[in-house]
Amino acid sequence: MCSILEDEIPLAKERKLNILDRKCMKCKEEPAILITRVNDAFCRGCFQVYVTHKFRAAIGKTKLVRDGEKVLVGISGGPSSCALLHLIQEGLSQRAHKKLRFKPGLIFIDEGQVVGQSLEEHKVTLTRIHSLLRQSGFPYHLCQLADSLDLERVKTLNACQSNHSAVNKINQSAMDINTCSNPVEGDKGDVEISGQDENCCDLIEMNREAEKLFAAQLGSIRSISGKEDFVRALRHRLLLEFARQHGYSKVMLGNTGSQLAVRLLTDISTGRGMQAALETAFADRRNTDMMFLRPLRDFSSKEIAMYNNLHRLECVFIPSLTTMGDVGASIEHLTEAFVTGLQAEYPSTVSNIMRTGEKLDSSSAVDLESHCALCQGPLDTDVGMSSALAALRFSLEISTMGKTNGERCIKGDNSVNNTNDELCSNGVNYDAKVECCGKSDGSCRSSTQLSVPDEGLVLQTLCYGCRIVAMEMDDVNSLPEFVMKDVAWRNRRSVMKAEIQDFLLDDR
Amino acid sequence: MPAICTVCSKGAILKRPKTGNALCKECFFHAFEEEIHHTIVHAELFKRNETIAIGASGGKDSTVLAYVLKLLNDRHDYGVNLVLLSVDEGITGYRDDSLETVKRNQEQYGLPLKIISYEELYGWTMDAIVKQIGLKNNCTFCGVFRRQALDRGALMLKVDKIATGHNADDIAETVIMNVLRGDIGRLRRCTAITTGTDGALPRCKPFKYTYEKEIVMYAYFKKLDYFSTECIYSPNAYRGFARAYIKDVEKIRPSAIIDIIHSGESLSVKKDIRLPVQGVCERCGYISSNAVCKACVMLEGLNKGLPRLGIGKTHKERRKMQEMLQQETGAADSTPCTDQSLKSSCKCENKTDQSECSSQTYDSDNASGCSTYSKSQKCKDGCSSTNPRTVAKEKLSIFGKLKQPPSIDF
Repeated sequence: MCSILEDEIPLAKERKLNILDRKCMKCKEEPAILITRVNDAFCRGCFQVYVTHKFRAAIGKTKLVRDGEKVLVGISGGPSSCALLHLIQEGLSQRAHKKLRFKPGLIFIDEGQVVGQSLEEHKVTLTRIHSLLRQSGFPYHLCQLADSLDLERVKTLNACQSNHSAVNKINQSAMDINTCSNPVEGDKGDVEISGQDENCCDLIEMNREAEKLFAAQLGSIRSISGKEDFVRALRHRLLLEFARQHGYSKVMLGNTGSQLAVRLLTDISTGRGMQAALETAFADRRNTDMMFLRPLRDFSSKEIAMYNNLHRLECVFIPSLTTMGDVGASIEHLTEAFVTGLQAEYPSTVSNIMRTGEKLDSSSAVDLESHCALCQGPLDTDVGMSSALAALRFSLEISTMGKTNGERCIKGDNSVNNTNDELCSNGVNYDAKVECCGKSDGSCRSSTQLSVPDEGLVLQTLCYGCRIVAMEMDDVNSLPEFVMKDVAWRNRRSVMKAEIQDFLLDDR
Repeated sequence: MPAICTVCSKGAILKRPKTGNALCKECFFHAFEEEIHHTIVHAELFKRNETIAIGASGGKDSTVLAYVLKLLNDRHDYGVNLVLLSVDEGITGYRDDSLETVKRNQEQYGLPLKIISYEELYGWTMDAIVKQIGLKNNCTFCGVFRRQALDRGALMLKVDKIATGHNADDIAETVIMNVLRGDIGRLRRCTAITTGTDGALPRCKPFKYTYEKEIVMYAYFKKLDYFSTECIYSPNAYRGFARAYIKDVEKIRPSAIIDIIHSGESLSVKKDIRLPVQGVCERCGYISSNAVCKACVMLEGLNKGLPRLGIGKTHKERRKMQEMLQQETGAADSTPCTDQSLKSSCKCENKTDQSECSSQTYDSDNASGCSTYSKSQKCKDGCSSTNPRTVAKEKLSIFGKLKQPPSIDF
């Protein structure tokens, strides 16, 4: 029997999804208006029920959100954020079947500086976002990504209530000025500044510094993938700090299933396999005191787009680093093209990836010292000698130095207690006990000078993925302040531990 | 300005794909060989006086593997005995050329060689299989058969371990492919440098952290000869997508391949996920996670004329089989099938009487078959009776065309 079976699915899908004569598959009465998943036709009413039910089930099933809890909702202005906002509004409204019971607060983080947008373009976007947030009726906040570098100030950002127009105006004007990436003193455009000028000026000043710092750090990272990683880490940190300082207990984000599938693959490709499970789970418990929730994780981008279309929701487009770039601009962009392309031929791709992600576990780090200082993910560098990390280090070493001197650098990389020993981090050797050179121009590399931490020390506190980003920067010490503080704190603790090492019984 | 080698400061002639350093030829050889030595030592791949079979296909990975292992064995005195083991899948125009390379390697390096072929093991060559199954999913057959073939050959040679030439790119592709396919069991195992330690013959991958490009570079500068075309059936493989993705990511960031392997190593699976348990195949005794191993299932399918038996979903294949038989055997005979062992899985139309059947399922040799059966619906595994009314029944005989694989005690 030599016949090749004829019922194989050909690579190019030829069947046309004909919707004209179909009835909704749920109620079987109404004419269908859209097709979702592989071939399921829905009418308007049933689709609305389907979406709402999935959303509520995702939140309700896990029983993580309690009554009256304050939840911070991150709105980026994109389609999934708008859908999330609308769903929350519907869910909280009086007429909802069993209304949701938490207290949302909205937050928008402006990332215009990442792409260097000019003030005019930016103001338009900001105004639209502002009106979007105001119409929701929930308290909202606006801040800037550069604020993540100056976390103390986050406390002073006041919540805007949608019925306090004066406060709105101030914040809006402060916002508009703050996001100007070219610090031009007198150019306030046509923004009104009502009343409290001193407050605005103060805000401007401090933000200018943070902005400059941010621009410098971002500029020193060479690759776009690295920049994107850095931006993401900062965004996460800012959300975390903001939520902590304003009394929120959870943060809700609007990532859809398709976005999360791309996220999972990108994480694997950038060496963040251990955190991949955190990023794609419903509840991200990276930090013990703050949970990040993703109620839209079961939706595909298509369903969200259809939902927005049905309800005529307007989203705001905010360009990112890779907008209109070519496919190979960054790893995330490439992965997105890859997944969407594969999804077109094999429609179960995204759900396969999400299912894989569900089965992965990320060991929750017990103490603060086993978190990455930058992204707060679990540290994955304690891997022993037969591992990719060790192999890479060996390669770098042997390519730069030829013969290795015995077993000098063949050690695990996470031993924190060797400030005075020879530190080897990715092929750069630090000799033991370098004496102070006597020059006071700041170039002293003596190991006793702990005020400027060693590059090795800093890298040890970062996870594999963040190390790649940090190594692209010109100077590792120019990492954000919260990272450097964390490094210093860990260093002090390790010195303490070394002193009392002999007397510790529980050796973990 | 000519580049200088970062190690010895002489003139550099190449840039390492892995790290981007410029190196001269000698330093590159040294780096390459030392890295593999480092991998072998730290993963404890070889023990003294073991016999290692090198899976030799004649391609670049296995040629360089044979060369480097021989070199390191002499230089660092591992004390292992090396043999070459090659598998002939029966793909004309591809495998017969690469086998010439392996024979040449045997002479050059002075290592004993054994060639084992699909024809002698299973009675089918890949060309014949592709004629049956078509150009999609044929890689599944080849892969499953080759794995068993390597193990059987290694057992014949009485070796302790098998070393294969899988390089870093292969492992990264496998990680990505397993994520895309949702195969959590494989995802956990695929980054291990030594697999199969419990039960079957362990196999290790000394090239786990070596980039494919560096292997080619090494072979080029050392003037090692190998056969370098793609398998003619490979363009439609699903792995091709993962490979294209890896190549693109490597262009953006060369260390990405090691990053992916690191991610694969740090992945951990939730504890309550059901993972396949390793057992033994009841027909041939090979290790298997189901009752019958995949190779036996596939072979049965090929011999019965249902090549998709090992590939498609089982219930669909069963249905197709029934439809096929319905077409071939014409008018239905409404007497029920009385095969005893298939009580619950019997798909006969007339299910009212599922009493004893005189035949057993798989002993086709005894001619006392199902006394009555339904012509329209046949039991799934086929009562192998000799009732002349069904010609189709002959086809379902399991041992129709199959040459039984040489039985080896596993």
